[in-house]
Amino acid sequence: MAWIGLLAQAIVVAVIVAAPAVADDSREKIEHSVHPETGIESWQLGNHGVEIMLMQIAPDQARGFFLARGFKRKDVDYYASSCVFATVVTNRAPTSISYRLADWRYARKDGVARKLKLKDDWLREWKQRGVSSSARIAFEWSQHPVEQTLEPGDWNQGMTTYLAPHGSRFDLTVKWKTGKNNYVDTIKGIRCAD
Amino acid sequence: MWIQLKASVVRIKMLRALLFAFALASGLLLGMEASFASEEAPFRPVPGHPSAPNFKLLNMDGQLVTLEKLRGQVVLVNFWATWCPPCRREMPSLQRLWQRLGKSQLQIVAVNVGEDADTVFGFMGTLDDSPTFPIVFDKDSAVLRAWPVKGLPTTFLIDRKGRIIYRAIGGRDFDSPESIRFITALLARK
Repeated sequence: MAWIGLLAQAIVVAVIVAAPAVADDSREKIEHSVHPETGIESWQLGNHGVEIMLMQIAPDQARGFFLARGFKRKDVDYYASSCVFATVVTNRAPTSISYRLADWRYARKDGVARKLKLKDDWLREWKQRGVSSSARIAFEWSQHPVEQTLEPGDWNQGMTTYLAPHGSRFDLTVKWKTGKNNYVDTIKGIRCAD
Repeated sequence: MWIQLKASVVRIKMLRALLFAFALASGLLLGMEASFASEEAPFRPVPGHPSAPNFKLLNMDGQLVTLEKLRGQVVLVNFWATWCPPCRREMPSLQRLWQRLGKSQLQIVAVNVGEDADTVFGFMGTLDDSPTFPIVFDKDSAVLRAWPVKGLPTTFLIDRKGRIIYRAIGGRDFDSPESIRFITALLARK
């Protein structure tokens, strides 16, 4: 009988040893912060080894950035009329993560799930509007990759856009894969800069 | 006798189960250690070690830089742009890495995407220690598209046989002790 007790203790030890990594990974947190000087707001989700951060880009910042990259005023105004965020995805998991922006959805107050306007959609429009090749190259690589696989420690940043009025709020539902497991989570109350 | 034998078999089975439980615990521990250790690695292996696509691009002085001519040496290829904040942040550490290991041991080529020499020159002027390794211009991003890059910055390590063996997506501190150790170990391979 003593063996059974010892075996049970060993299993308990094994479970306790294994538990913290799992618990740490599964602990979800969403942080909202406001920069004390600029007032720029950001939201950060940490869940199952992935960190997703969205930081407001004000319309004037978006205009200035693309004017300096060779865009014309009418085109930067058009871009800045949408809601732009600097978006950073970081892999804190001990295994690879992957995601596709085509799988993400955002919902405004009407509750309708919408797809993000991805860089290929924009690039088609820029070509139709006669935006120069060099400006389109800068645009393409400044946007968040439409799909990405990040190994542990890798991270990627780039802009994402949402068709929502400035100052309005939306919920963003994000999906990703960590190892073989699929995850979904929602960052609520993200506010478009105005 | 039979009862004693049965008791012995039960004990052996329990001992096996106990050893399995300890092995499981040890394995988890080792696995966790490996995970933590590998988390610190600044670069990650590229499966299949594909051949690095060649490029012939002009540098800041208008001279042609050809990747194939660096065959036989370990080469770090960094894709970047001045408008990319993490690219800007990591550039000084790339220069420090070059000062520490560069030229005789490690080749570094920074491939600027879609910009011109004036723009890059302006950015260099803002740095305390301007890069002295080759910076080349991929103005139409054709080279970038030939490489497995989805976002900037992305950095590759090319081995002496011209194969892409490691990759880092996102900004790095290239002269951190971990990076120096990692690259020095790679340089030691023949």
